[in-house]
Amino acid sequence: MSRTAGPLGRAWARLGPRFLPFADAASADLPLARLLRLSLFQVAVGMALVLLVGTLNRVMIVELGVPAALVAIMVSLPVLYAPMRALVGFRSDHHRSALGWRRVPFMWMGTLIQFGGLAIMPFALLVLSGAGQSDQWPTWIGQLAAGLAFLLVGAGVHTTQTAGLALATDLVAPRSQPRVVGLMYVMLLLGSMGSAVLFGWLLSDFSPGRLVQVIQGSAVATLVLNGLALWKQETRRPGRRRAAHEPAPGFIDAWRVYAGGPNARRRLLAIGLGTLAFGMQDVLLEPYGGQVLSMSIGSTTLLTATLALGGLAGFAFASVILSRGTDAFRMAIAGAAVGIPAFMAISLAAPAGNLPLFALGVLLVGVGGGLFGHGTLTATMQHAPPEHTGLALGAWGAVQATAAGLGVVLGGILRDVVNAIAGIAPGATGLDAATGYLVVYCAEMALLVVTLLVMLPLANAATGSRLLHPPVEAGSR
Amino acid sequence: MEDAKDKVWPTGLTEAESEELHRHLIQGTQIFGMIAALAHLLAYIYSPWLK
Repeated sequence: MSRTAGPLGRAWARLGPRFLPFADAASADLPLARLLRLSLFQVAVGMALVLLVGTLNRVMIVELGVPAALVAIMVSLPVLYAPMRALVGFRSDHHRSALGWRRVPFMWMGTLIQFGGLAIMPFALLVLSGAGQSDQWPTWIGQLAAGLAFLLVGAGVHTTQTAGLALATDLVAPRSQPRVVGLMYVMLLLGSMGSAVLFGWLLSDFSPGRLVQVIQGSAVATLVLNGLALWKQETRRPGRRRAAHEPAPGFIDAWRVYAGGPNARRRLLAIGLGTLAFGMQDVLLEPYGGQVLSMSIGSTTLLTATLALGGLAGFAFASVILSRGTDAFRMAIAGAAVGIPAFMAISLAAPAGNLPLFALGVLLVGVGGGLFGHGTLTATMQHAPPEHTGLALGAWGAVQATAAGLGVVLGGILRDVVNAIAGIAPGATGLDAATGYLVVYCAEMALLVVTLLVMLPLANAATGSRLLHPPVEAGSR
Repeated sequence: MEDAKDKVWPTGLTEAESEELHRHLIQGTQIFGMIAALAHLLAYIYSPWLK
């Protein structure tokens, strides 16, 4: 296998076992070098997400002077494509290919779309801000171009990630799935953290030319990373193709069959509610720390690192426990259960003025979110019918990405509306400014309680069926 | 060796397979072309050249 893995793969393989906690994800049929190489698409996804919601969000407002409301609309455009992930996954399940490929064409197409979006992004943003000579042209050109760029990047990310996760599910034995999920999440986190630091450093000396270089550089990086990730990964099975005259099954019918499966709707509802609960504080933690707890900018940045650290701990813990055969829903329930005291700690930190309590709460939110995300994705993989892997992972991604995007928007709106009703001035500091944030945290706790109520029957159902049918041995699929 | 008949020399792919690869290539070129045209248009709007 080292022949197909190439020098980069071998370098990864030498590094991997020593520095990554998921070394034994490799089974005889899938060496670690290939698995690590496959996970590179998650680095590209993380990079694109951080660019959209982090770096460009700031650059548009601060450096380019675009109105904040317009920026908010642009940044939330990619969420519109998230529900399409179910369709993308379904289409890849039934892709008609003489080469016997199901996932590679979609990963490649997603990569091209993402590349295209990033390639026009810097010019679109410059035109949107009316820089250079572009103020002599109608404003709708910039808005349309920027909207198109954001939509393209979003469509590319969602397509690549759906096909990539489905490919990972196809490739690994069920026994190794928990560790693969852990690896995928860790690569996503590393990709976004690493590129956040890198983008921040590269753009610290801002100029329009530098913006073009950085964004188009990320476009090339996307192409390289995804190309490496999908190279020689999918087994060609020409026998799998259907005869040309055989009609493709319809999406609606397939969706009815999938959603009509045991507990399928309940599972998706729980994933949506839980992700919403963990997502609403996402952009509020740093302003809460700064505005209410009077933390400095440096220490609020540490909050994001603390949250990521908690997430990493959650993924690692879930990987280890789940690969021993624990029920993945129980892990997700544990994640939601950890989230409730975590948000309580964050809420109580303001009246108590207790920074360590706040930091502990943030860490626990990271851990809980990690456990919940890992548990639900692993459960989705394990319950996916072999012929509908793409649809199942697409449905997971559609619900998860929509809820996460919605959570960020709802969290911000809820805080602003409550603060406005309570008559709090935007510049207020200390406990006076806390009301809006506390309402959001209470809403998150309430959502987590509802998530727990929705999920508890799932764990019981899983134990029940496990008693009737002993767990399937690894590799039997 | 019956299906070796429709293998196209020298790639070892069948005709249907090579057509599919070709389609991907053409599609990729088309997408790249459109993206490049759009990027050039936006770059021109930002800062017209030959002026």
